[in-house]
Amino acid sequence: MSFKIEDMRKKAVPKIGALIKKGALTADQVKDWLRTMWEIRYFEDRVYDLLGQNIIKGASHLYAGQEAVAVGSIAAIEIGDVIGSTHRGHGHCGAIGNKYAQDEKARQDHWNRMMAELMGKQTGYCNGRGGSMHIADVKNGCLGSTGIVGGNIPTAVGAALAEKHKKTGKVVLSFFGDGSTNTGSFHESMNMASVMKVPMIAIVENNLYGMSVPFYGRSIESAGCAANIENIAERAAAYGIPAKIVDGMDVISVYLAVKEAVEFAREKCQMSMVETKCYRWYGHSRSDAREYRSKEEEKMWKERDPITVLSRKLKEEELATDEELEAIRVQALKTIDTATDFATNSPWPDPKDLAKDVYVEESYPAEVVAKDKEYSSKAMKATETFEKLMKTLEGKTKKEISEKARAAIKADFGMDVIAIKDALIAAQAEEMRRDPNVIIEGEDVGIYGGAYSATKGLLAEFGKDRVIDTAISEAAITGCAVGAAIRGIRPIAEIMYVDFITISMDQLMHNGAFNRYMFGGHAKVPMVLRTEGGVGRCIAAHHSKSLEPWLVNVPGLYVVMPSTPYDAKGLLKAAIRSDNPVVYIEHKATYGQMGALPLDEYIIPLGFADIKRPGKDVTIVSYSRQIMFCLAAAKELADKHGIDCEVIDLRTLKPMDAKTVAESVRKTGRLMTVCESFCMAGMGPEIVRRVIEYPFENGRTGFDYLDAAPVNLAAADVPPPMSEPLENASIPTPDKIVAAVQKLVRK
Amino acid sequence: MAKDIRMPKLGQTMEEGTVVTCLVKIGDAVKKGDILFEVETDKATMEVDSPAEGFVKAIIAEVGQTLPVHAPILVLGDKDEVVPQSFIDSLLGGAAAAASTAPVAAPTPAPVQPATQPVAASAPTVSGSAVSLAGVKVLRLQKLGQTMEEGTVVNVLIKTGDSIKKGDVIFEIETDKATMEMDSPNDGVVRAILVESGQTLPVHSPMVILTDKADTPLPQSAIDAIRSSGAVAEAPKATATTPVPVPATPAPAPQVKAAESVPLTTGKVFATPRAKMVAQDLGIDIRRVPLAPGAARLTEADIRKAGQQPTTATVPPQPTLSLGQKVTINRLQRIVGEKMLQSKREIPCFYLNIRADMTELVKLREKLNKNASVKISFNDFIIKAVAMGLRHYPIMTGQLAGDHIQLADSIDIGLAISTPQGLVAPIVRDAFNKSLVEIATYCQGLIDRARSEKLTLDDLSGGCITVSNLGGFGIDSFIPIVVPGQCSILGIGRISDTCVPMDGNILIRKLMNLNLSVDHKVANGADAAQFLDFVKKTLEHAGNFA
Repeated sequence: MSFKIEDMRKKAVPKIGALIKKGALTADQVKDWLRTMWEIRYFEDRVYDLLGQNIIKGASHLYAGQEAVAVGSIAAIEIGDVIGSTHRGHGHCGAIGNKYAQDEKARQDHWNRMMAELMGKQTGYCNGRGGSMHIADVKNGCLGSTGIVGGNIPTAVGAALAEKHKKTGKVVLSFFGDGSTNTGSFHESMNMASVMKVPMIAIVENNLYGMSVPFYGRSIESAGCAANIENIAERAAAYGIPAKIVDGMDVISVYLAVKEAVEFAREKCQMSMVETKCYRWYGHSRSDAREYRSKEEEKMWKERDPITVLSRKLKEEELATDEELEAIRVQALKTIDTATDFATNSPWPDPKDLAKDVYVEESYPAEVVAKDKEYSSKAMKATETFEKLMKTLEGKTKKEISEKARAAIKADFGMDVIAIKDALIAAQAEEMRRDPNVIIEGEDVGIYGGAYSATKGLLAEFGKDRVIDTAISEAAITGCAVGAAIRGIRPIAEIMYVDFITISMDQLMHNGAFNRYMFGGHAKVPMVLRTEGGVGRCIAAHHSKSLEPWLVNVPGLYVVMPSTPYDAKGLLKAAIRSDNPVVYIEHKATYGQMGALPLDEYIIPLGFADIKRPGKDVTIVSYSRQIMFCLAAAKELADKHGIDCEVIDLRTLKPMDAKTVAESVRKTGRLMTVCESFCMAGMGPEIVRRVIEYPFENGRTGFDYLDAAPVNLAAADVPPPMSEPLENASIPTPDKIVAAVQKLVRK
Repeated sequence: MAKDIRMPKLGQTMEEGTVVTCLVKIGDAVKKGDILFEVETDKATMEVDSPAEGFVKAIIAEVGQTLPVHAPILVLGDKDEVVPQSFIDSLLGGAAAAASTAPVAAPTPAPVQPATQPVAASAPTVSGSAVSLAGVKVLRLQKLGQTMEEGTVVNVLIKTGDSIKKGDVIFEIETDKATMEMDSPNDGVVRAILVESGQTLPVHSPMVILTDKADTPLPQSAIDAIRSSGAVAEAPKATATTPVPVPATPAPAPQVKAAESVPLTTGKVFATPRAKMVAQDLGIDIRRVPLAPGAARLTEADIRKAGQQPTTATVPPQPTLSLGQKVTINRLQRIVGEKMLQSKREIPCFYLNIRADMTELVKLREKLNKNASVKISFNDFIIKAVAMGLRHYPIMTGQLAGDHIQLADSIDIGLAISTPQGLVAPIVRDAFNKSLVEIATYCQGLIDRARSEKLTLDDLSGGCITVSNLGGFGIDSFIPIVVPGQCSILGIGRISDTCVPMDGNILIRKLMNLNLSVDHKVANGADAAQFLDFVKKTLEHAGNFA
């Protein structure tokens, strides 16, 4: 096997004096570590007290006891390197803040902002949006901290991928606890990081308990246990990752081990793991009575308090006097006292800013919007003409007819006619040429060209560093994109079926969508998650759903669903350029659908619906493939029944263009929604709600303009069945739309 | 020999009866005098006994159904006789014609029934609300109370496919009075429910289609036909060859008229938000907008249609007159003058006076108007009473026509209205077949139209009588002039508290003078007196309007 586990506890720890002599350290540096450890300790003690006084509310997972891990590890990295933190993250945040503090004032300011965040004040690092579990200064090398155990590991992989892609020489420290090493995120991430060869160091803080359950072994007879191996380092071995085990109570040991790992990462651009054996003084949280561990065990560990260990070393090696050590302690206490006062006296966030920083605000020049309107209707006409030509032109083969028809469209409209899949490829290729920071990662996106051929040919043009085939690891694929996006590149992650997004959801929502808001608006996540959904290939319930209602339910996400090649290309290009996380959902039955689009470059602004067919009798709102069904139905309704439907393609589901829909209903008085997703709490009811609530300039709302109860057509409330007749029966189809519109208009 | 039994006239004022219970079943042997049905009339619940002996061959009347006097209700025959379907069909389809030749069960005076005027035109002919032929039955909204005109479905307690028994509660219906349970008059399998919760529909509208068996063929076209058969158009006649009741003839005239007029809307008016908004913008009272047939709620189109006949009155300022001034005669006043002169010249009148005790009616009116959306005026009660009187004394509708007296085709009553332009007396058409609320709604419309000069020629032509009320001006009694073309005119004075000796006491009662001017060419004193007395008595018994 190509790995090694090095148990550094078995070796003698070098004397501090010796390290100073070697020039590896300075005495001031080590004394500053002691001061940081004291600051973290006093911070946590203070938080514990303030929780008891109900001045701090919410969760607080205290770091006291583990100070040597954060301080030693962060001492081993450089300014510009990146850390990923956890729900027990005050130590990481404290240590890296000190690292960036240039002077005493900056240092005090740092602790002030930490305490203010804990109290939920406007002056906190995240303006009171994150609190204890999401405390992070993302401007200074922190990826943020997550409340989902293991959830921060995939983003660290992505961050490391970004540093590698940008060739910055920076590394990523990913802190996580023993508990997270039993999650899928951990395993997917270790494997992906190992395969991708990214500069990442996994710092396992093995404090022996995941909440109350011991990782391995027990000190209380009745306790359970989480794993059957003592050392997590062995798990690294399974992924071909070199690992070390160190004494996490000794900051010097931690420093030296991490230092080596950081150098390994920088030189080899590879990951390794440092497992630190440590112990938390407090319980999992303040309400934890710690019945699962013995008093003897606690006593034994407390005798090895990392502050005591370092203080003793400094004194024994005569690097500091008692007075000096006492002065460090007192100074740390004073810093936390000042921080407490600062936080107590800080203002609360203003509730009117509640919705600030959910999104990066984006706008489009008026000419882009106007151009889209012009192109869109032109593309509809050209596509219609193309379809007629395909029926009327003569030729030996279909291909020949198609070529003739395409040439005619090019001559008459100045437009090309291509399939949706080719529009997607073109969009990605154009954006990758335009911006070297655009990369693609996902299952089978390379040689295979994507399960639905939407990345075909891109590997050949852009190489395997930009078109990255991954393992089947949806959580890691998604989290990797999030981390890479936070670190400044523009990843396109492909999830083969939207059904698999169920596995990605933690990463997509908690990190991708929420990070900006949780971290006080200081992060942005410019990623695209491309996937496809819908029925049409008889592949049953795990490969046929339409889950867009799940996604629009996530604040912080954009959700885009194209229906034509023109829309597919323009929207995907806009999605890639957006600074917000965009979920871009194609329809599996439409990749071959032909349509016209401009020859010159264009984007379609996100958040703008498109009136695919103007009409006066009834407003039909839909998106994705169902638009084609609606247009077919509208044609029949006009030809045979004299009913003039207006068909609106939302294109972007979130943010939704309620204005276009409401204005249409104002005209027609009747509203029907047609969606392929389930109805309950779904897109249709949501569209209806938006129309009903829509405020017009005259004081009326959309409700006032309704002349009939709105009708929602949606997928039947059944798992999509495999059998074709059942599959067809489970979704709206043109005949059902025709019948429903007739009924609606007759009412 | 098959023999049809018809709804008897069980009291002088009885016009129709509602079948409460049916006490026989097909095949039963009945003797003369056996009780066949219990029927509720405007006065009481009474028994209908068999006028003949025989075996029950067919039961035409259904429980819950309201039928006019002389409508066929049952067929008797000999023990083994097979009554041909055509016989029943002829009874149902030709109910009107049959009625005129049917033995007159009621004592005098017999209603005058010109051969050209089918009964159906003045009284709704109702045939089986659940005709049990070819295994298909249509359940219609029952009249759950005397004044019930329509009901709102509150709760649908059955679903398609349910097997239900006679007496099962199938709907909860909210009427103008209360929420009531409607139970099924038949056994059967629910094949189609034609209504939904929240829907308001007129009495006798089709609600449910039952079949005998779950697999009885029932094509969609049949359901559609029943659904579109609509409300009172009823008379859905089923034959052996057409299993589905389809109206054999166009809806009787009264119903068509009722639909043209403004249908009553009491309680909640269901209208779309857009309809309400447009109504608000156009200043239209949605309670006065008729619902399209079969529609669940008013839509924008209904409002816009109604908006083409504005209901809002614009009153131009009254010109002030000064002494010595020459007052120009407007066209209207000239016509009034000419007509009145013509009347005095051509109509030899006699005059009758009577006083009606309005005490009960005053109370009833207060009660009815308390929460009603349509307020009922005294004139509305009077018009209704006059209509009932004319129905009993049709001679009072007559006009001398050369060598004979021609009676009117329908009971049309004029209402004298003073407008800024002058006096007009537009006609309330077919007042007998209008409910009180319908009359009230219609009169309000007439008044609004009169004041805004929107009356049509049709509004003003014809009529058998005019009601002129000067009570509002404090007049106790006055003698009006008959409008040429009509037989009489009724002048109404104010209602005043009067000491009345009654049962040895002196009571304070609310009395009102009625003066009737009558064309002696048409009617004699005895006719006119009986008519006026009938009107008086009708007004005095508030129960006639409850």
